Amino acid sequence: MKERLIFGYDPFVLPFTFGMVFIILYLLTGTVRIILALDNAERKLLLKSFMPATLFKTTKDIILDCLIHVKIFKKNILLGYMHSSIAFGWFMLILVGHIEVMIYTPQRNGVLYYPVFFRYFVMETHETLRGSFFFFLMDLSLLLVLTGIGLAIYKRFHSRILGMRRTTKLRLGDKIALYSLWAIFPLRLLAESFTANISGGSFLTISINHLLNTFVTNPDHVLPVWWGYSCALGLFLFALPFSRYMHIPTEILLIFLRNAGIKSSLSRNGYAETEIYSCSRCGLCIDACPMVTKKRNIKFSSVYFIRLLRRRSEESLATADKCLMCNKCVEACPVGIDSTRLKLLKRQEEFGRSKTNHEYLKFIENKVNAPDSVLYYAGCMTHLTPAIYKSFFKILDKAKIKYTFLDKDGSICCGRPLFTSGDKEGAEKLIKKNREIIKSSGCKTLILSCPICYKIFKEEYKLEGIEIIHHSVYINNLLKGDKIKLQKGIGSFVFHDPCELGRGSGIYNEPRELLSAIGVVKEASQEKNLSICCGGSLGSLTLSYSEREQITKSSLNSLLINNPDKLITACPLCLKSFSTYNAIPTRDIAQIVSENLI
Amino acid sequence: MIDFGYSLTASSRISLDNIDQKKIKKITAIEPDFLKCMACGSCAASCSAGNFTKVNLRMVILLLNRGLDKEAVSLIEGCMLCGKCTLVCPRGINTRNLIGNILKIYKEV
Amino acid sequence: MNKQVLVIGGGPAGLETAGQLENLGYKVYIVEKSDKLGGHLLKWDRLFPDSISAAETLQKLLEPVVHITTFLGCEVVSVNKTGGHFYVQLSNEATLSVSSIVVTAGFSLFSAEKKEEYGYNIYNRVVTSADIESYFKTKSDDRIQNPKSIGFVHCVGSRDEKACNKQCSKVCCITAVKQACEMKELYPEADVYCFYMDLRMYGRGYEDLYLEAQSQYGIRFIRGRVSEVAEDETGRLVIKAEDTLSSKPLKITLDLLVLMVGMVKNSDNEKLSSLLNTRLGDDGFFQCANPILRSTEGESEGIFFAGASTGPKTLPESINEAKASALAIHGYLSKQK
Repeated sequence: MKERLIFGYDPFVLPFTFGMVFIILYLLTGTVRIILALDNAERKLLLKSFMPATLFKTTKDIILDCLIHVKIFKKNILLGYMHSSIAFGWFMLILVGHIEVMIYTPQRNGVLYYPVFFRYFVMETHETLRGSFFFFLMDLSLLLVLTGIGLAIYKRFHSRILGMRRTTKLRLGDKIALYSLWAIFPLRLLAESFTANISGGSFLTISINHLLNTFVTNPDHVLPVWWGYSCALGLFLFALPFSRYMHIPTEILLIFLRNAGIKSSLSRNGYAETEIYSCSRCGLCIDACPMVTKKRNIKFSSVYFIRLLRRRSEESLATADKCLMCNKCVEACPVGIDSTRLKLLKRQEEFGRSKTNHEYLKFIENKVNAPDSVLYYAGCMTHLTPAIYKSFFKILDKAKIKYTFLDKDGSICCGRPLFTSGDKEGAEKLIKKNREIIKSSGCKTLILSCPICYKIFKEEYKLEGIEIIHHSVYINNLLKGDKIKLQKGIGSFVFHDPCELGRGSGIYNEPRELLSAIGVVKEASQEKNLSICCGGSLGSLTLSYSEREQITKSSLNSLLINNPDKLITACPLCLKSFSTYNAIPTRDIAQIVSENLI
Repeated sequence: MIDFGYSLTASSRISLDNIDQKKIKKITAIEPDFLKCMACGSCAASCSAGNFTKVNLRMVILLLNRGLDKEAVSLIEGCMLCGKCTLVCPRGINTRNLIGNILKIYKEV
Repeated sequence: MNKQVLVIGGGPAGLETAGQLENLGYKVYIVEKSDKLGGHLLKWDRLFPDSISAAETLQKLLEPVVHITTFLGCEVVSVNKTGGHFYVQLSNEATLSVSSIVVTAGFSLFSAEKKEEYGYNIYNRVVTSADIESYFKTKSDDRIQNPKSIGFVHCVGSRDEKACNKQCSKVCCITAVKQACEMKELYPEADVYCFYMDLRMYGRGYEDLYLEAQSQYGIRFIRGRVSEVAEDETGRLVIKAEDTLSSKPLKITLDLLVLMVGMVKNSDNEKLSSLLNTRLGDDGFFQCANPILRSTEGESEGIFFAGASTGPKTLPESINEAKASALAIHGYLSKQK
């Protein structure tokens, strides 16, 4: 190999080089801005994350998520292949390109554009095995990328084959970046084919060179194609910050910050900014959102929320207020953006000073005594579905467990609905009062039958020394400890995973274990971490009653798909939402267990 | 002035003529179902905060419609936003959103 | 005139229509999905507002139809309309060829279990108005044991979006007042309360009954909704409500709670409406041709209605509609060749 042009330069490299300089500066300023926006605690965490163990994990995550896109493969193999072929293939092109420069033209090490346009500036003097190997690798990587690009173009027309019912609409910036990205690799193929007889090539480039021989060997045709290639690259790099493809570099920063244990604390700056720019607008969250049974609610899905945040638009509040906060989109997101947390932060930021006044709580006495019994807290909603606690007490009586009904005469709300509405201050007051009452009771176990209460008691209340347990898990423990016996029948059940119990608290198996002691547990079409919200979620502030009806019905369709005899759930809100429209009986897990006690 | 030992108090008669419609229009624009309330009292009956204090959404809607804004705010600010009222309202009003917006529009902080 | 008419539903409206049509000389068939004629009237004890015996009323309705061909325990399976005739197949495989069909399929009672917060079938001492009416007839119900305090909850399953029934069921207010008086007759020492949203005393004699309930029987009327029902240690019911007139939350312990369940559409109305090619309204009841002038006539030719199939009605209204419907059918059939 030797250089064809003495100075190793031609004006056509300028578009690419300017683009590259621009993007490098942009990325540097962006990273600095984000790190500056972190608070001191977060910066300390970031510093700590440069220890070898975390660094190794970060590198592994970057390779698995950014290059190979393992998470997308899990969703759909074709979709995963599309992403990883482009990412990994392009990465190989860059890597091997740099190796080629290091080996063959080391005097050009550090020249920004040289590896990219290598095959223009060199000519092959003699064929070697090593040279053929590198050429083969380059051509293979290029082919890999081209198959990915082909799938990407196809996806725009027939996204269902790749497992996506809906894709997000492209804006102008996206279109420029996307079409120039699509153009880069065919143009590269063409350009490298044109010079393949001079610089050498492999199976792909040489073949095209032979095919288009007469057209190709005319020196006047060569340069325009390389100009085209460079312009496509330059256009892509300039358009990158104004498009969704900014996620390519941003995701690397995201993984660093996430592995340092940093979470978003503002809705737009700091870690949130990294999340917002890491969103690739793949649109997987649109299919996941339960509200999207109505087409006109597509605009409320997380992808469009993040875009509104990115633009600092005021309309993002309307979406934040509408969200069910069921976390199905977070589960579906291949990048792992916690969009629910961003919506919560947005609500809190907009809320301002708390407008509720809970001074009256001070005057309520803490007169619950339960030093040697379990404490049961029904919560606001369970008072409207008394069958739940009545059945649960029957089970406790059978197991000879002493219990105290904490909020028998009316609950002081656990505080989670107030918290998710954005009123942190107000929620703190409720939490403080309830914590006092519970601690002064002397109990060792607190049982909740409502997953909403369960989640906040477990996460925010900080009740040290007290075991906080959901009633489905508690009953299952009673069964495993032989404190109760159940009769097994032939009936079939389907279990609905409540959002706050399943995705919210990670409890999927215990209720199913319990149910399989009574009958056959059938599957829903989407369950466990994919379970569809019942529609009753208190997370949404502005969803109307008729809109919730649609969501309930679509969730029911998924649950009843295998024709179970009964629908079992573990949340009073789910129970109320489903029993209104369900054709088969709906029961809480405590009810069905108490009906089958022996 | 001779002190007779008693004084005149302001009339407690509600005057429907003098109600400031601006805020009512605002709240109706955000939550149109505000107009649907039939004062059945299901909300107040199930209210969590109503167990301990005088929070009463039915009364609040009535007072707002009669122009007694200050009283209304004092009756709603103890709300815990638990959502029971929304679940029982027979007219399907999104009472949680209504309460949040009443506080936003009517309460001066 | 040997034109044939099919009456779907053997309740009071159906019986009256059949009797009237038979009188006018038509051949009438009655098809009834339960195994007895009489509909809901079979289960009632005394009728408001004058306490007329339901059994006697039913007897009078059954007499004229004694010789009419009746298919009990049957349903309509298919209807084929060709050239002014209906070819109807029943579930017992009988086929009828009729010139006109009257839908007197009536209503269903709201299932009180759907209002979970009231605890029907969860707490022992919660019953419905239908249960109470049965109790008056049979004088025995395990749930009713010498109650010293009784509550009636109006509007259960009516005027309620959350129960998917927006309509007012018309008859429950007066029935509640009637049953409250009757319970007081059985248990003179008991305290009886009625929890209402509005008291709909529109009919002749209704206001008088209300007055009697207050002055003679001492029934207490509380304007407010019951929100939750719980049990205390002895099994008595603890009721939480709002007393809207005093604007204060209210609590009371009762020995018996009666839920006034509303009139809702039959679950098979949809099937019947598509068989007969006649519309249902948004509330699930059948739609008539004109609610003022032609309330017993359907939108499609040859289809007629009477009674609660077109919406909640009192018994006298159903009987009157039955007579009107019979007349309308007579008019229609006379014009046919």
